[in-house]
Amino acid sequence: MTLGTWLNLYFFWEKKWFFIAMIVGAFMLHMPLPQGLSPEGLIVLTMSVVSVILFITEPVPLPTVALLIIVGQVVLMGHESSDVAKSLVTDSVLFIAGSLMLAVAVVKQKLDKRIAWLIVRVTGTKTWRVCLGITVVSGLLASFVGEHTVAAMMLPVGITLITLTSDDPKKVRNLAAVLLFSICYGASVAGIGTPSGGARNAIMIGYWKEFFYDPTNPETFKFIVSYVDWMIHAYPMFLIQVPVVTIILFWSFRPEYRDLSRAVVKLRNLIEEEGSMKAADWMSILIFFLVLVGWIFISGDIGMGTVAVAGAATFLVAGLVKWEDINSGVNWGVILLYAAAISLGLQMKETGAALWVAEAFLNTLAPLGANEGFGLWAAVSVLTTAVTNMMSNGAAVAVLGPIVLKISTVAGESPIIIGYITAISSSFAYLTVVGTPACTIVYASGYLKATDFLMVGWKMTIASTVIMLVAAKLYWPLLGI
Amino acid sequence: MNEQDVPDRFRILVCLDGSDECYQSLRYAAKLGSGVDADIVLLYVRPTDQGLRSGGLQVRVARENMLKWGIELPGIQYLKKGRDMLKELDIMSGDDWKEEVAHTDVDGDPLGDNKISYVNEQGKMVVLKLKVATDIATGILEQWELGEYDIIILGASSRWKGMARSFWDPAVAEKVAVHAPCSVLVARDLEIGHGHLICTDGSEESMEMVRRDAVLASRCECPISLMSVALDVEDEPNAKDNVEKAEKMLNDLGIEVVESLIRVGNPVDEIIEIGPDYSLIVMSESSKPGLKRFFMGSVAFKVMENAHNSVMIAR
Repeated sequence: MTLGTWLNLYFFWEKKWFFIAMIVGAFMLHMPLPQGLSPEGLIVLTMSVVSVILFITEPVPLPTVALLIIVGQVVLMGHESSDVAKSLVTDSVLFIAGSLMLAVAVVKQKLDKRIAWLIVRVTGTKTWRVCLGITVVSGLLASFVGEHTVAAMMLPVGITLITLTSDDPKKVRNLAAVLLFSICYGASVAGIGTPSGGARNAIMIGYWKEFFYDPTNPETFKFIVSYVDWMIHAYPMFLIQVPVVTIILFWSFRPEYRDLSRAVVKLRNLIEEEGSMKAADWMSILIFFLVLVGWIFISGDIGMGTVAVAGAATFLVAGLVKWEDINSGVNWGVILLYAAAISLGLQMKETGAALWVAEAFLNTLAPLGANEGFGLWAAVSVLTTAVTNMMSNGAAVAVLGPIVLKISTVAGESPIIIGYITAISSSFAYLTVVGTPACTIVYASGYLKATDFLMVGWKMTIASTVIMLVAAKLYWPLLGI
Repeated sequence: MNEQDVPDRFRILVCLDGSDECYQSLRYAAKLGSGVDADIVLLYVRPTDQGLRSGGLQVRVARENMLKWGIELPGIQYLKKGRDMLKELDIMSGDDWKEEVAHTDVDGDPLGDNKISYVNEQGKMVVLKLKVATDIATGILEQWELGEYDIIILGASSRWKGMARSFWDPAVAEKVAVHAPCSVLVARDLEIGHGHLICTDGSEESMEMVRRDAVLASRCECPISLMSVALDVEDEPNAKDNVEKAEKMLNDLGIEVVESLIRVGNPVDEIIEIGPDYSLIVMSESSKPGLKRFFMGSVAFKVMENAHNSVMIAR
């Protein structure tokens, strides 16, 4: 008997959520039009609800959802095919594509051993110091190049330290947990630091511009958020979280070894075999540095996406990475997915669906007193955290962005503050393996259990939420928003 | 599947996940598979490395980086430990074992499937297999397709989650038990030597199952007890008949039955209650067709879900 013979039934069972989503969609399209919602708005809202169900339950490969969104925009909404195609690529999408290519290029440079050497040289051999060192370095790097890049680079460092300490995974379970979580949470908390830290940040910057920027009105120029603006608002928050990560990890897992001198000495020997830095190593550091300078100084003029793409091109021109490596290292479906999600998000705004959902959301919050001010901030943060734990954080911001930005205008709150809160909260996906890219990559090592993420993740979520809300209340007003 | 398809060899598939449970079940497998005509395959299923969840950067980038550092794939250690255990248990005694390494490419994963087979002169085989699949249950079922097995043994990694949770994410053991075409043993604190409790309802399938399990039990020299549960008092003679029929059949095969039990009540509760006195509860798969079985479950699956000790669904 082959899988196929019993698959017929099983096919429907496996894909049940797809059919449930379609039934929900059909039902929504045929229900009487809710008050205050335009017919187009209802269609977009339906597509968003169906997409969210599919994002969360994943009965079909995720890029399929992107394809369905494109089909839906043409067939259900009657848009021109070319217009829909045009709406797919924005600077945010270009940035996501460019930074993924950069990520592969950076990982391929074998700089990980140099970085590891630097860490153990500075930290010495005490376990907690090594962990803090890994968190700091992972974080600093991830805040510029994205958490997935850093997780991929640092994971071998963590595992090497574990295996050099003991061959028996059972004897180093807690040590493995602190070391590996230092990498993935260090990278995760850093993703909020700069716009290039994660796709979600670039998406939010794109939304601000699309929603509020009006070239004829100087009042709206503040909605063009620059690289440096973002860093001023968010970077300190990341820095505060770094020691918190180490404290929470050591509180949750008590490592079996307080000192890693054996492993560190072996690691040093291993790295010294590499010899001194070569010209290519310096070259890749230089290119990377130039990309960074480009983001900080000229991304306002030519767009962050252009800088990222230029960086990837430079790596290719310099011969530091092969196109085949980039081609197989980037999951192009993700780019399609973000493109479609952002395009749908903009439709939410244009058809008034976002406004309608925003009003409904605020009416629900009103009895709790969370329809304005600090209560609303907290509510938005909780909503985003809940959604981001269920789907990829970029998709969460793409879907929620238009709604929360409308909420802010209806409630008379600053869209900038609400936007930051959404983008930052979307990185609080510490609870699940699939929550953040860094967690997924570190989990692939096979050293952690899915329950470990739950066990330590809730503490991280609370700590991060509190730090963010305190910063929003006390720090951001000093910056004049 | 019909009888002709089954190779002459007795093939055991043991799924390892590094837990204590799985090594306990490996001990049992070793006992079952100690004969010359039995092959033991140790399987570890690694989820496919893919990048949708990792923000667009394929996990393979990280994986390749790890390999460059000389770090083994996850699971290799578990398989090696399993092999060492089999050596300790004298399954792989002697020096005449030939080693053969094989690799199969798998779409979507750069590292694919890897296996090491050990064959001795009598043709007995021990295989370590590191398999890639989208999820663990699928990997186990695909492995069955590659070489038909007589029995799949896997640990119940945690309590089953009940209908609400399994609607989201069916537990591995549950999925394998429902779909595997051969006998599936879900091990919980599997101790050898307390005997098999074979439950029968008198149907033909169940008689066939009794015969099959008796063969299995005689492999590991486990004592056999027969049990039948009557729904009410009126039904009791029927249940008695069932047990007697089964006992006679086994006696004809020259297999001794240690005890026969007749209970009255809800079969699931009765079986679960008495279960812990034995190593293993053996149930036959219900004869309900696919759809019904899927949505309503059967006595066998309910027992499997709720029992406190190991359960085998015999097919």
